[in-house]
Amino acid sequence: MSACDRAIEYIYEYIDDELTGTHKTRIQWHLKRCGSCMDAFAFETQLKERIATGGRTEPSEELFDNLRALLQQERQTQDPDC
Amino acid sequence: MADQANFEADAMQYAGQLYSAALRMTRSPADAEDVVQETYLKAYRAYGSFQEGTNLKAWLYRILTNTYINKYRKAQRRPQEVELGELQDLYLYKRLGEQSGASMSAEIEALDSFVDEDIVAAIESLPENFRLPVLYADVEGFSYKEIAEILDVPIGTVMSRLHRGRKALQRKLWNVAVDRGIVEPDS
Repeated sequence: MSACDRAIEYIYEYIDDELTGTHKTRIQWHLKRCGSCMDAFAFETQLKERIATGGRTEPSEELFDNLRALLQQERQTQDPDC
Repeated sequence: MADQANFEADAMQYAGQLYSAALRMTRSPADAEDVVQETYLKAYRAYGSFQEGTNLKAWLYRILTNTYINKYRKAQRRPQEVELGELQDLYLYKRLGEQSGASMSAEIEALDSFVDEDIVAAIESLPENFRLPVLYADVEGFSYKEIAEILDVPIGTVMSRLHRGRKALQRKLWNVAVDRGIVEPDS
């Protein structure tokens, strides 16, 4: 297996920060030497960041109010003297 | 053991993220809010058994996932296990590269052309057994070990579903890029 094949095989584990020790070090060394693998790693890293920001939907404030009210009600049901 | 009196102070900070994840699971704001409400009630009632100092966020996601599965899979006898077919590695990068030749900036530019709705549509298009690992890794930033615990599957299963799920997500993004005219369709 070529060094490039090896780097691409571990691309997601590298980007997900799941690689440790010599695996990680050797890929870092390879990326310094290999522009085409570096481009692929940079693209996949940016894609992951784009999915993280685009995939998140902020709730309305009402969600938090409703949850607090629900928990309040649950406490009262558990301990009516409260 | 965690003190139930601290539950609200400890757990409310995760409600927004849990809602967002529930929305990607159910694809419906009303259902997402319902699943989150049930999750918080169950978590509150069980908080006495939560080991303080361990991973509260992952614990809440596990309850969320189980709540979603119990509510929405009831009609099905077995969890839906869909296969995706074989796709090449780095699917989107390679397809974009075929278009732009040697220029890396064109591939990054194509990424910038996606709007949030494209990303949401691509995630929500994935079959559930691939959608949850992709959601938890890419959007929620969980480690493989945490995802394995949340979904109650081995780490190897997480990695293989994540790998295949990401490729399918990239194919969907490619199709979106074609539909929106960001790239030229195949001739």
